[in-house]
Amino acid sequence: MVKEVPLWLKIAAGIFLVGMVLLLLGPLVVVLGISVSESQFIAFPPQGLSLKWYAQVLGDERYLVSFRQSLVLALIVTGLASLLGGAAAIAIHRRAIPGAGALATLFLSPLILPTIIYAVGMLMFWSATFGAVSFLTLVIGHTVICLPYVLRTTLAVLSESDPYLEEAARTMGAGRLARLWFVVLPQCLPGLAAGMFFAVNISFDEAVLSLFLRQPELTTLPVRVYGQLEFSPDPSVAAVSSIMIGVTVVLLVLADRILGLKRFSEG
Amino acid sequence: MTDRRENLLLLAPGLLLLALAFLLPIFRMLALSVQGEDGLTGAHFARFLGDPFYLGVLWRTVRLSLLITLICAVLGFPFAYIMARAKPRLRTVLLIIVILPLMTSVVVRTFGWMVILSRNGILPEVIRDMGLAGRSFQLMRTETAIVLGMVQVLMPFMVLSILGVLARLDQRLEEAARTMGCSFLGTIRHVVLPLAMPGVAVGAVLCFTLSASSFVTPNLLGGTRVQMLAASIYRSVTQTLDWNFAAAQSVILLVGILLVMTPYIIAQGRRHG
Repeated sequence: MVKEVPLWLKIAAGIFLVGMVLLLLGPLVVVLGISVSESQFIAFPPQGLSLKWYAQVLGDERYLVSFRQSLVLALIVTGLASLLGGAAAIAIHRRAIPGAGALATLFLSPLILPTIIYAVGMLMFWSATFGAVSFLTLVIGHTVICLPYVLRTTLAVLSESDPYLEEAARTMGAGRLARLWFVVLPQCLPGLAAGMFFAVNISFDEAVLSLFLRQPELTTLPVRVYGQLEFSPDPSVAAVSSIMIGVTVVLLVLADRILGLKRFSEG
Repeated sequence: MTDRRENLLLLAPGLLLLALAFLLPIFRMLALSVQGEDGLTGAHFARFLGDPFYLGVLWRTVRLSLLITLICAVLGFPFAYIMARAKPRLRTVLLIIVILPLMTSVVVRTFGWMVILSRNGILPEVIRDMGLAGRSFQLMRTETAIVLGMVQVLMPFMVLSILGVLARLDQRLEEAARTMGCSFLGTIRHVVLPLAMPGVAVGAVLCFTLSASSFVTPNLLGGTRVQMLAASIYRSVTQTLDWNFAAAQSVILLVGILLVMTPYIIAQGRRHG
């Protein structure tokens, strides 16, 4: 006879679950709450209900400039990372080049190296070689950080693909470009798409590299929020933060619709 | 065009980017850390290792990272287990609850903690009301604040690492143990936990390296008084403008992280053979 799971354990598990959900979501709920508060001061629970902080943020040129900068940056970086990462994944997957394993490790190493160390190196290298840091520096740095994600998701999809499809296309007389475009690329697409979601999200939210490369005219949205938090946080910061949470939610819903969330927990 | 040529062409752009924008910056950092006014020097390292203040920062970084990792593992394992055995609907909801904070900017999450832990925030208020501490009780700018914030930031890494292993676990192993008369908790302890250990180990390595090197959360919650290594590096770069010293500190952080990761990398290599 199998002994039942004791009742107290089930109750304890329920309480534990609630506590964990509070821990994980608490900070986000607090930020959302403050963003709709009427009070001049940051306090939770919020007093009153108003959207005036959103109105203020949407009329604030500094936030708008930062938002545009972050968005353009994230889109360029995603395009570059998926192009370079996808192409590299195809070549590495074929294992035709000696040292493909070592190459894969090299491509994944930005994932292991802490961003702060890379940020220090990038700042020092760029200053010594090219002088002042620019938008291009951020594009390059973010692309390096996002590259491994695209590579990993694309490699994962390719490893489940049928290796004979490309052979078949070759036998039927398809040229190199046609094979890449009509046979290999479609097989990569789910992985590429997953990698692109990671890239957009990481680049848009990235704070450490952007902070080290911060310039007066080069302040991404996370860096702008960070600066406000260090000095004078008011509820408008909560409104910006809530918009950033909103962007994440939209990305998550899109990712779930297109790819299914399961891929993310496994990726 | 040969196959070899095609593959090289596909690889070249990414490889070029990594060589120029990843490897070169790291070499630059390594070079600066040993560069003195006249040739090579170990002075920057000696300065760090000879100063009680910086040794304190290093020790705090190691100590807090260990504590954060431990808490993540102790809370993350039961949570991942409940997720793995929950009905599909509940599992999806829990998965979203884990992934949403993970994908939200660290700056935003830290802001939430700043409010919760501030002088008139919820947590200090509750603790004061319960009579557990005096009126002057503060949580902001303490090590406790850093640990709380970092546990929330890193928990998803631990949960997802363990979940990845548990999801592939054959449930019949547990059923077998239960029919043989093992209690539920006994099954967890003697069957599930040992089999989940690879996931716990991966999660622990991730949590430790990420918390030892993370900057935003410890810096905002701990302030300048309770510094961790990353915050100290940032100060050297932006405030004291001592880049050689910043490079030396980065190298110390890098060496520490590589030491922690080596057993994991070796194990990975063995598994993939």
